[in-house]
Amino acid sequence: MIPKDICQRVLRKAVSTGGDYAELFAENTVNHNIHMIAGKVDAIQDAVIAGASVRVYKGLRSVMASTVDTSEEGLLLCAQRAAEALGQGSAQIDIVLKERIFGDIHPVKEVPSSAANREKIDLLKAGCFAARDYSSDVKQVSGSFLDVDHRIFLASTEGFCTQDRQIRTRIAVTAVADQGKGAQTGSASPGRRMGMEMFEFIDPVAVGVTAAKQAVTMAGAGYCPAGVMPVAIENGFGGVIFHEACGHSLEASSVALGLSQFAGKLGQKIANEKVTAIDDGTIPGAWGSINIDDEGTPAQKNVLIEKGVLKTYMIDKFNGRRMGLPSTGSSRRQSYRYTPTSRMTNTYIAAGSDKNEDIISSIEFGLYARSMGGGSVNPATGEFNFAVNEGYLIRNGKICEPVRGATLVGKGSDVIQNIDMVGTDMDMAQGMCGASSGSIPTNVGQPLIRVKAITVGGR
Amino acid sequence: MTYHEFQQIVVDRAQAEGLTEYELYYRASESTSVGTFQREINEFSSSADGGVCFRCIVDGKMGYASTEAFNTEEAASLVLQAMENARSLESEEPVFLCEGGKEYASVAAPEYPLPETEEMVSAALAVVDKLYAADEKIIDGSSAEVYREKMTIAIRNSKGLDLTYTHSGAGIAAAAVVKENGEMSDAFDMKHGQLSTINTDELVAKAVSDAIDELGGGPAPTGAYPVVFAPEAMGNLLAAFSSVFSSESALRGLTRMKDQEGQTVAAPMVTLVDDPFYPDSAMPVPFDAEGCPTRTKNIIEKGVLKTLLYNLKTAHQAGKETTGNAFKGGYAASVDIRPFTMYLAPGDLTEDQLLEKAGTGVYINSLGGLHAGANAVSGDFSLQSAGFLIEGGKKTSHVKSFTVAGNFYDLLKNITALSDTVKPPRGMGMTAFCAPAVLAEGLTVSGK
Repeated sequence: MIPKDICQRVLRKAVSTGGDYAELFAENTVNHNIHMIAGKVDAIQDAVIAGASVRVYKGLRSVMASTVDTSEEGLLLCAQRAAEALGQGSAQIDIVLKERIFGDIHPVKEVPSSAANREKIDLLKAGCFAARDYSSDVKQVSGSFLDVDHRIFLASTEGFCTQDRQIRTRIAVTAVADQGKGAQTGSASPGRRMGMEMFEFIDPVAVGVTAAKQAVTMAGAGYCPAGVMPVAIENGFGGVIFHEACGHSLEASSVALGLSQFAGKLGQKIANEKVTAIDDGTIPGAWGSINIDDEGTPAQKNVLIEKGVLKTYMIDKFNGRRMGLPSTGSSRRQSYRYTPTSRMTNTYIAAGSDKNEDIISSIEFGLYARSMGGGSVNPATGEFNFAVNEGYLIRNGKICEPVRGATLVGKGSDVIQNIDMVGTDMDMAQGMCGASSGSIPTNVGQPLIRVKAITVGGR
Repeated sequence: MTYHEFQQIVVDRAQAEGLTEYELYYRASESTSVGTFQREINEFSSSADGGVCFRCIVDGKMGYASTEAFNTEEAASLVLQAMENARSLESEEPVFLCEGGKEYASVAAPEYPLPETEEMVSAALAVVDKLYAADEKIIDGSSAEVYREKMTIAIRNSKGLDLTYTHSGAGIAAAAVVKENGEMSDAFDMKHGQLSTINTDELVAKAVSDAIDELGGGPAPTGAYPVVFAPEAMGNLLAAFSSVFSSESALRGLTRMKDQEGQTVAAPMVTLVDDPFYPDSAMPVPFDAEGCPTRTKNIIEKGVLKTLLYNLKTAHQAGKETTGNAFKGGYAASVDIRPFTMYLAPGDLTEDQLLEKAGTGVYINSLGGLHAGANAVSGDFSLQSAGFLIEGGKKTSHVKSFTVAGNFYDLLKNITALSDTVKPPRGMGMTAFCAPAVLAEGLTVSGK
């Protein structure tokens, strides 16, 4: 993307005040978003995000400067800003750049930008209309079709330059249903690191029906009771429990500063022995996958927790310096404007050996959380929350009436010990994860699990 | 190529394509921040970005396209892409661009010279020293961040509109991390303004005392109690539910405020204001994202819904004037609706009197999971909470890891008192939510 000789001059400038590492990151991203509501397409946006950033380290100090001016002059100015911010000093580093090609394990059959709006609108309509037609209780449907073509380029004083192209496609449908007890919403939003061929696996009609069904079920539901109880959490987006309760606290951005409940616990048992958890950026076509991370390190499959024992954190180069550990290919950023840091990719609790029916029948009175919404956590305290979008009460080992409005809260280090049954049918679902380096696509996943006791925020 | 040059090429191209109604919305920002670890600066970041959104009306439909790459090729593709997008639209709702020649309020933004990097570094180091000196429970991870930001918005359209707004500001954030008996907790506070005028003793004291308050304690007992929301918690709740006052949501049937203008929607002591010129706002704004003049309005006045928030399109559909609340989440975003500083007007009780009135209940200091546990369509919320028990009319033991659940529409009606002081918004940006402390009935606490 940027000629090697320019990269060399920019990197030389970046380390000119004594930096011991510098990196040039350039990006050209095209976002295309089609929105529809009330059966009609009401907005289409195209946005080109194009710019670059220069990062410099000196020991445990990091400096980042970004610019939209990707001419040589603009990049040199950006490097100079970074170098000056690092302070006084001088250095001469010989920079030889060798091009690296990591290959692409995510082939794209049909790049979304080569498909016409019409084709995407037809898919979106199929989803939205299926939701609308599901029931006369469905009062409103909105949907969006999103495709992203994210090209990144990196050159680093470690002596390499490389690039990646990350294409993602997603369809989302939200339905609102009302049966006179107050409107409720339901949604579904599958996505892949794929092009238009995603629709060979994903049926937009099924997406619409899932959203509508959830809205209608919840519109007929009463409120979830409040209290501490056992909860069975379904696969797919249920994995948000690990993402919030544990995942963020295993990111080096928290761990390196000691701001994690799991800092200093490598090799120790931190979770129930039923729990094996993995962050895997290498799953072909998966929403959270990357060929290389945003520091140019190839993605890895990282076993975070094996049978309850903490095996590794998710580490980027900068925090790795403080921790004395190498990068695990976990450095990510939304765009060139953000300073990258350690983040998740596709994170899931691996399949166990409990049967689904045994998990449900083990619960005398509790909650079956079929579909989850987002959540959040404070990694320092481990206090987390996430919303249950579609829940049912379990009585005497049987799934009974639907209940609305529940949020689950707890402390990650406790809850991860309380996951005492793990099913066999692991599945993943897509989300956007927000943190200091911006909003990035991540998968969460798990099989059906049982948490033996957790606070259910009903009423 | 500068934006100025780029803009002219786009306009020429638009005219060559025969477009008669179009707009360029440009937003650029420069921001710099320094952060600390232990007693040293460990992070410095300086971002400069800027992008433009081109909108045009083709056959009555508004097409959008945006870019950050300012070159001749991109200028052409911007215009063509927006036209192509317009042609794919189906919505038949009439769309508008703002006419030029309107009167705008002169915004008295607090102008001060932005700090140089050296001043930011010394301010950050001074704050971090104060953090470490504040309490022996303070541990590494406590940090200071100092930032400065400059933003420019320029809107130019084919109807003679040509507006520019620049805003700059600075601020300091202090994050305190404390540890006691193996348990960690943290809290932060931030203030914006000229660095030399920011009272960092107060800033540090607030962050440290909030962090210490978070130590210990467990869930509150499950039950229905009177609940007092601290000002920040109430502000966060308003933020999560502000879209219920959007006329766009009303048109789509996504808010119970639809068709309620003129009706009682809240308790008689509730007045909800949207003020683009709020005195404590970090960023007072004279025009909205469509270039229409902004103004202060009561959304709810003594319990009665006076107006929803409108932009040009929704106002036309409702047969009203825009309230100047068009909003774009970024230069590339489509025009939506958002308040500026939305605040609940203060009541007449001190916070102590409010607690006394509550008698026995729960005081909510902070709410978590607002993006997930609050549904603006249904009004339902169930949110991770931390705060204190209220016993005998006073705050007593610390409680956390519980939820407070209810419904926002009901909550507006179940407010029984407001304290006399609105806590100013913290942070930067043109959108802010603030409130006094609020006492409400009819909420459920789920804890132990």
